Amino acid sequence: MEPISVTDLRSASCGENNVEIGVESFQVGEEIGVESLQLGEEIQRLMAPPPPETASSFTALLELPPETAMELLHSPENDETAPKLAGEAHRRLLSPNFTPTFPSDAALLERASRFSVFAVEKNLIGDSHRVKQEPVDSESNPNCSSDPNNNQKSTKRKEREKKGKGSAKKSKNVTNEDGEKLPYVHVRARRGQATDSHSLAERARREKINARMKLLQDLVPGCDKISGTALVLDEIINHVQYLQRQVELLSMRLAAVNPRIDFNLDSLLAAEDKSTETGNSIINSYGTLTDFISRFGEEKTTPALSLHITHYLATTLRLIQHLCSQISSKWSSEDGLKIH
Amino acid sequence: MKQSSIKTRFTYGFLRTLKRLPKTRAKSSSFSPEEISKRCRIIKLATDASMASAVGPRRAWSRALIRRVRSQRRQRQRQWLVMRRTRRGERKKGGKEVGGGGQTDSLRKLVPGGETMELCTLLGETAHYIKCLTTQVQVMRNIVDLFSN
Repeated sequence: MEPISVTDLRSASCGENNVEIGVESFQVGEEIGVESLQLGEEIQRLMAPPPPETASSFTALLELPPETAMELLHSPENDETAPKLAGEAHRRLLSPNFTPTFPSDAALLERASRFSVFAVEKNLIGDSHRVKQEPVDSESNPNCSSDPNNNQKSTKRKEREKKGKGSAKKSKNVTNEDGEKLPYVHVRARRGQATDSHSLAERARREKINARMKLLQDLVPGCDKISGTALVLDEIINHVQYLQRQVELLSMRLAAVNPRIDFNLDSLLAAEDKSTETGNSIINSYGTLTDFISRFGEEKTTPALSLHITHYLATTLRLIQHLCSQISSKWSSEDGLKIH
Repeated sequence: MKQSSIKTRFTYGFLRTLKRLPKTRAKSSSFSPEEISKRCRIIKLATDASMASAVGPRRAWSRALIRRVRSQRRQRQRQWLVMRRTRRGERKKGGKEVGGGGQTDSLRKLVPGGETMELCTLLGETAHYIKCLTTQVQVMRNIVDLFSN
């Protein structure tokens, strides 16, 4: 019996070779940062929906069209002219690509200039500075964002954060380009988070993992209500085990059913043996049932677990029914023969 | 074939292998326990193989499953060497684990080929594997009901 055709064999082996090559290039790519290209697309896809929801984040402000952003930021505008111009010129020098022009505030501009200088020259020190500044901002901000009356304070803080984050992002891009002349990761640093390349890559990875976990939660029935990675993983493992055992049970049933088609009156001798063999299968399934029930007793009742148990009960009952019908038919034929 | 989904491909492959199964002759061979367990094993192998070939070599778990089935049938050294090579290559990256406890380990044991994956590929493969297992169970249940009624 050859369940796998030759073409499948060839294609599968080619696939294996491709996998090996892909794995090696994947490794090399990760070291250099080429993998980040693919990551970047996924991350953009991941990042695009969430920012518009939270209006208070830096990325959301960037997503908005420049006019509304200007409106938001210009509303608590104060009066500064000379430092404004100087700041604007400085900013324009550093950011040729930036289309939205941010409004001015003397202190903000000075801080931005300081940050940008640090960023261009010494990345690490600038990072540490920014890291120190950012937690302060993030701590103070949640208090403000909840209060809609303090518009001025919140918008100014947003501006400050944006300046810091903008320069941080720029610096990361600049250093990457100088070092390796390769395309960089288009990841936006979020509010109150560190911005060195390692933590960004880690964050991207974590987001990918969280997206996959959400997918799995949708697939596994009864996983929506559970919160927490560990419990969800437990449920997933239960589900996979349950499915695999279902396949086993069904294949056993199929093996039991198939000879019934060729059932003959001559095959009477091994009737009892057959019942014991499938009796073992019942015992096995009962074993799984009992350990399920013990788990049921230990942990709190999850709906998925009870679903599993009922499914198990149903399948074992069906198996028992099937066997009983077979045995009864055999015995009746046996009796018939004996009588004759 | 109207629509070549995984379900239809699996059904066709599975039924073909079932047809090719050696038809048990009469006498006592049909109901001896060894025969039944042998048939059970053969059928399990058939489901795994037809499932994996229906999915194709696009997924890591199906490749691993095909490899396992073939090594079970033929037990050749070179497949083991290939596995070792890929295992060494992927282990170097060192997948970091989010799940506390031994959950990721037990998941790796369940999903075929899951030993040598990082966490995020493991989760993706698990999702596809769950989908394929559910279709497999559906089809097998239908076949069994058809045969027994």
